[in-house]
Amino acid sequence: MNWDAKIIAFCCNWCSYAAADLAGISRLQYSGSIRIIRVLCSGMVHPQQVLHALEKGAAGVMIIGCHSGECHYLKGNELALARAEVIADTLEDLGYAKEQFEFTWVSSAEPERLVAAFHRMSARLADLDRDMPVTITGGAWQQNNET
Amino acid sequence: MSQVLTINPITRIEGHARISIHLDEAGRVSDARVEIATLRGFEQFVLGRPAEEIPRIVTRICGICPWMHHLAAIKAIDGCFGISPPPTGNLLRELCQVLAHIHDKILHFFFLAAPDFMLGPESDYSVRNIMGLVRSEPELAVQVVRMRQLAVAMLERFAGKAIHPVAGVVGGFARPMDAEIRRDLLVDGQVLLDFACQSLAFAKERVFSRFIEEMLSLGTVTTGFLGTVDAQGSLRLYDGLLRLMRPEGNFDEFPAGDYHRFLAEHVEPWSYAKMVYAKSWGEGFSLDPDQPRGVYRANTLARINVCDRIATPRAQEELAVFRELFGRPARGTLLYHWARLIELVYACERALELLADERIVEPLVYRAAEPGAGRGIGHVEAPRGTLIHDYTTDENGCITRANLIVGTTHNVAPMQLSVRQAADSLIRNGACDEHILNRIEMAVRAYDP
Amino acid sequence: MKPKLSCEWLHGCSGCEIALLNSGELLLSLFQQVDIVHFPLLMDHKYTDGAGDDEEVSLPEADIGLVTGGVGLESHHGVLKAMRRQCRILIALGTCAVHGGIPAMRNQWTAGCTMETVFSTATTEAAPVPDAVPALLDRVLSIDEQVRVDVSLPGCPPRPKMIVSVVEALAQQKKLRLPYKSVCETCPTVRTGKGQAVIRRGTAKPEYTPDEPLSRMRCLLEQGLLCMGPVTAGGCGGREVPLCLRSRVPCRGCYGPVHEGGNQLLDMMNALASNGIDYRTIIDRKSLLRFSGAHGRLRPEKKRRGGQQLS
Ligand code: SF4
Ligand code: SF4
Ligand code: SF4
Ligand code: FES
Repeated sequence: MNWDAKIIAFCCNWCSYAAADLAGISRLQYSGSIRIIRVLCSGMVHPQQVLHALEKGAAGVMIIGCHSGECHYLKGNELALARAEVIADTLEDLGYAKEQFEFTWVSSAEPERLVAAFHRMSARLADLDRDMPVTITGGAWQQNNET
Repeated sequence: MSQVLTINPITRIEGHARISIHLDEAGRVSDARVEIATLRGFEQFVLGRPAEEIPRIVTRICGICPWMHHLAAIKAIDGCFGISPPPTGNLLRELCQVLAHIHDKILHFFFLAAPDFMLGPESDYSVRNIMGLVRSEPELAVQVVRMRQLAVAMLERFAGKAIHPVAGVVGGFARPMDAEIRRDLLVDGQVLLDFACQSLAFAKERVFSRFIEEMLSLGTVTTGFLGTVDAQGSLRLYDGLLRLMRPEGNFDEFPAGDYHRFLAEHVEPWSYAKMVYAKSWGEGFSLDPDQPRGVYRANTLARINVCDRIATPRAQEELAVFRELFGRPARGTLLYHWARLIELVYACERALELLADERIVEPLVYRAAEPGAGRGIGHVEAPRGTLIHDYTTDENGCITRANLIVGTTHNVAPMQLSVRQAADSLIRNGACDEHILNRIEMAVRAYDP
Repeated sequence: MKPKLSCEWLHGCSGCEIALLNSGELLLSLFQQVDIVHFPLLMDHKYTDGAGDDEEVSLPEADIGLVTGGVGLESHHGVLKAMRRQCRILIALGTCAVHGGIPAMRNQWTAGCTMETVFSTATTEAAPVPDAVPALLDRVLSIDEQVRVDVSLPGCPPRPKMIVSVVEALAQQKKLRLPYKSVCETCPTVRTGKGQAVIRRGTAKPEYTPDEPLSRMRCLLEQGLLCMGPVTAGGCGGREVPLCLRSRVPCRGCYGPVHEGGNQLLDMMNALASNGIDYRTIIDRKSLLRFSGAHGRLRPEKKRRGGQQLS
């Protein structure tokens, strides 16, 4: 995988973000590529934002919300699941690999589960990188943009 | 020293093209080319699309005659799905087509071509255009703009979108026409017919008579002709048999579905446009100015030449006058303009005929289509020549193969010959100026590429 | 002195120019208000003086420049840069210029693949593809991917009145608000909030009573027809009924996304999913980007080494 590749992780404030905190306190190691963005609920993440991240050159994007039935706003994570299916199905149409996106559920007490998800994503992207001769970045055709 | 003159871009035509004229050491023309410098690749991007979407995509081949591509594609997809529209569907489609011919011809003759004649080919480029015409002949210009607008408004009234239309659908037409709209259109159609007749009278008196020498000589070449006729040999724009006439005047007649047995396309490295030629003549293809091979022309003059008659009275009268003067087939390249105005009269008369047909307001406008595997070839006479769309679909009704022969491409080869002829006769000892170059462009403009 | 207007066309179809001419009497009034200094469809100003094969494009200075079509050929770069240099205000006119338009559909394939297909049709003689012509770029770009654009006016083509009012407003240095809502905003069809759970094939026709006005017809999307009204910028019908709906056929999205940077495919899928409609019943999803394939939205499918899928 590219040394400067970035993985954007949208983490829900009430679960995965707390899990990430805990992971830090427990000194669990994960890839330096991960960039966490805190959101109030996984249901807030619009597919457009996932696409935007990829267009701007992120190698992968994750959305991590509360377990089913545990969403702080009742149904936010189920909405996120429906959207995640749309994203996963549409990514190939848009010229990205479906491996570049993952939606998963983690509770605030499961830092290992979160770190495992991060590992899985990095490993998958590394495989993908080997499998695809051209690196996956957005905007390469804009090089000769005058302004 | 040898030299290359370029005209870049050719202006007052629809599209991107340039002319390059090569002169040898003695200042004689050694080669002249019209280079079509653009390609978008519709044959590629229709692949895989559901066939019923095609008529809403291929319209973007040309913003001047989107209706032609819309209709040719719809007919072809009707063929793929094995369906034929009810009579009213066909009447409405043809009405759209002739109305589109009307505004196109007004555009081409008055906006693009007339400035050369009305203001003179020698006038300065900054006034030799429609803006100049508005200043020097305001009354005429206002009338022209209004009439063109009227034809567009007629289309919009029952078909909604006039540029890049959507009202034709596979199996027929999207919606029926109501009686009230039909009444209005009959009135407007009459206004347009009067204008068409006036325009022709005006052009004969003010334009053609003054340029009669150029009409017969500028860019004139000997070629065959291609057009569409009905079983009686009358001019048709919407459907019928293709008639391919040899330079001597004898011809073959065949359904559009057989086009590949008669026509082939030649490729040159310096032009994106392929050159269609008459494969069935068995002489191959050559642009040799002294002995061209396989070259025929399409578009107005060709249609007027191949038909035996025109089935509407006023256009027929004009055809008789034209034949009296120029014979059959007429060859003068600038005569395309004259033929264009005769077709304008026909299109107006035909629109009125269609509107007079009681069936045009019937509610059954389409038949349900079932997507499936098949092949369909659709054709119409576009303002710029015979337009052929040929598609193959798979069992899901999605496109697997496409071949498009666009009106303009028939005339790409003859345009080369006309430009060569014009350059040969106008450039003496390497002497050339802006006015000569404009005259050479006039030969291209006649084809309305 | 009158403001100067300069117009150029790139990878388009000239429909935008015809739309301008279709403004009828407004066109005549526009002729009064501006001086047109360059406009290949209507006047004979050339790029060069005709002597030699000078590649440099020279264009006159202008206050307002209109560019239609996207950037699809090598030759377009020079013309577009010259327009930007010479025009004080540059307007991207039409969906091709703003979002790539239909020609950007070819971004799903490489330029070589497109050339190959076009020059190998059944009736084409076997010959090498043309090479003494400006080469196809590998992608069709919108013009803002190449130069700074001051005003974007989408539409395929844009509404004639809108083109004239924008040019006039700029010429008179007046303010003008462009519409920013979706096509559905001005659509009078009946919406109940409940509809079909699937999207039907494009050959399906809407149900309505022919004598009744559009305001009695059920929304096409609710009838299970793929109507892109919700994810398409409005304005095609002015404040009145959207153009396609006038013929009772669904919108296909020709004005491009509602918001800058929107993605019509993703937005439509998202809208369908949020409303419980099975978006998997759409048979050709990439077609949803048929008008907005520039900005890297449509691309050739990535080939994987060995062809096998990863898990
Ligand atoms: S936006 Fe539409 S009308 Fe304008 S040039 Fe492009 S295809 Fe033609
Ligand atoms: S989805 Fe289509 S039919 Fe329904 S309101 Fe929007 S534009 Fe109208
Ligand atoms: S309804 Fe949609 S596709 Fe039709 S003209 Fe309006 S924006 Fe374009
Ligand atoms: S609050 Fe965590 S997903 Fe909704």
